[in-house]
Amino acid sequence: MQPCSREMQAMNSLLSPTQPIPLQDLQPNGNSGTHQAQIHNPQFDPTSSHDDFLDQMLSTLPSCSWSDLKSPWDPPKSDETPPSNPDNNAGFHYDEILASKLRQHQINGGGGGTTAAMKMMMQQQMLLPGRPIAAAGGGGLTMPLHNDIVDGSSFKSPNQQGGEGSVQALYNGFGAGPLHGTNNQSPNQPQHFHHPQGGNMQTQSFGATAGTVMNQSQASGSTTGGTPAQPKQRVRARRGQATDPHSIAERLRRERIAERMKALQELVPNANKKDKASMLDEIIDYVKFLQLQVKVLSMSRLGGAAAVAPLVADMPPEGGDCVQTTAGGGGSLQRNSNGNQPSANNDSLTVTEHQVAKLMEEDMGSAMQYLQGKGLCLMPISLATAISTATCHSRNPMMNKGSSSNHPLLQSNGDGPSSPSMSVLTVQSATMGNGGLDGSAKDAASVSKP
Amino acid sequence: MNNPHHLNPTSLKSRFTTRFLRALTKIRAQKPISSSSPTEIFRRYRRIKVAADKSMAYSVRSRRIWSRAMLWKLRSRSYRRQDPCSGRRSGKTNQAIMKKSSNENTTTRREDGVGFVEEADELRQLVPGGETMNLCNLLDETAHYIKCLTTQVQLFSPIGKG
Repeated sequence: MQPCSREMQAMNSLLSPTQPIPLQDLQPNGNSGTHQAQIHNPQFDPTSSHDDFLDQMLSTLPSCSWSDLKSPWDPPKSDETPPSNPDNNAGFHYDEILASKLRQHQINGGGGGTTAAMKMMMQQQMLLPGRPIAAAGGGGLTMPLHNDIVDGSSFKSPNQQGGEGSVQALYNGFGAGPLHGTNNQSPNQPQHFHHPQGGNMQTQSFGATAGTVMNQSQASGSTTGGTPAQPKQRVRARRGQATDPHSIAERLRRERIAERMKALQELVPNANKKDKASMLDEIIDYVKFLQLQVKVLSMSRLGGAAAVAPLVADMPPEGGDCVQTTAGGGGSLQRNSNGNQPSANNDSLTVTEHQVAKLMEEDMGSAMQYLQGKGLCLMPISLATAISTATCHSRNPMMNKGSSSNHPLLQSNGDGPSSPSMSVLTVQSATMGNGGLDGSAKDAASVSKP
Repeated sequence: MNNPHHLNPTSLKSRFTTRFLRALTKIRAQKPISSSSPTEIFRRYRRIKVAADKSMAYSVRSRRIWSRAMLWKLRSRSYRRQDPCSGRRSGKTNQAIMKKSSNENTTTRREDGVGFVEEADELRQLVPGGETMNLCNLLDETAHYIKCLTTQVQLFSPIGKG
């Protein structure tokens, strides 16, 4: 396929555990114990600083291993054309070995500060597709930073993408999760691969490269096989299990999606994940709720003293110069002076708003019933504030008061302009943590579902 | 509870706070609080909301897709208000950029294989700029967006109590 793959195979045949000899040949320190331990440089100081670590790695490994690797590669290259193995099975052997070794280095010595230097080094090397050593070295060196999957894709990605995108793609090739730590944020130990908010560009380009890379049947054997849940055992040992690149890509995507869902689950308050669909619905509701909350808070707290209804149109007698942010309720509500809220966000904010607005036009009672059917109610903002800061006691009198008045629960702050100004659907909720609303948020005016 | 965050000068919260307060003071300086008609109030609200969004988006810079989309929307809107021609121009270039990114990312957009198309679409409408993201990135962006929104809410609630 491409020169890299063949050389990878060569490397594999060289360094696979079934052929310990070449490895031992590479060892300048003689053979003792497992070959894995041998590549450990005895001079390596686990407590050294990051720069020292990098220097040591660069000095020792390339000097002894790489150069020795180079020579044995050329002769066997012609021999090594194992048709049975897919392209990068070989490479994975090699990478895994290096990975385990370097991971120990990494864990001991801490690789945080070495990221930049490593990146530079790898960038130079990885950009040259004809440098299998560099690729392997880069691949091996990056292993400790993330012990994940798609090793093969990393070898492909520099071929595909030039420039600065390649490095990130290289990182991406090693797995999205742990990559988050490598680029910008704190590149911690390889265990910390759950960075829900990290790795923006990396994951995107990974998504792009993964599809294309997989199609080249690069990572056929390497990926998956293990759940991303165990940080230290991310070395994918399942080789040849799923040779279909599409299925691998699918599996990868599903894993990453599951990761993200887990992260989102922590953010969203109601976190009983029974199944993903309901979780997604929950997330959607929560986002809507937050957007509404921001809108309401910014409006009420900062937009003026009086409670104005940006969300609900004013009564028709007002002349209709109130705005309706739910854009498209009743026909009479379209006399928007500013005529905007054009963004699709508001339209899709809540169907509830639409309904409530429409109902409010016609009859306040029905609107209130509709709201109460949903477990919501309207209240003036000042009361909502009072409720949120105080205890729940104020709630009951407020309810009673509201029900007995002409405009139930809509008595505004007492400015009492002639035209009834509606209050806004407040968004006090238990999640705000504003006070003793925990259990009672359901009855209180909140847009969130009980 | 919020103070430890404010102590960190580079956290999202502190960045957003400073920007937002700056925008608020600017708004207040522009227009005295004399307006009582709903129109004026709404306009003021709009300005504040825009300021909040803008400050949030700016504090995130362009590190996120949704912030980029929001920034682009804000800019194009302001351009449109000032000069229709320039709005069109910038809109075109920006849209080209967005379309390009969408083309790159749309390889797996609809074909999830996980089967969450409806919810995903709805989420895409909610999160700004979500139309150009595949599910994976969408979830990522959603997480960050939620975090930013909660930051905003936390910052808003103490304001105005005084």
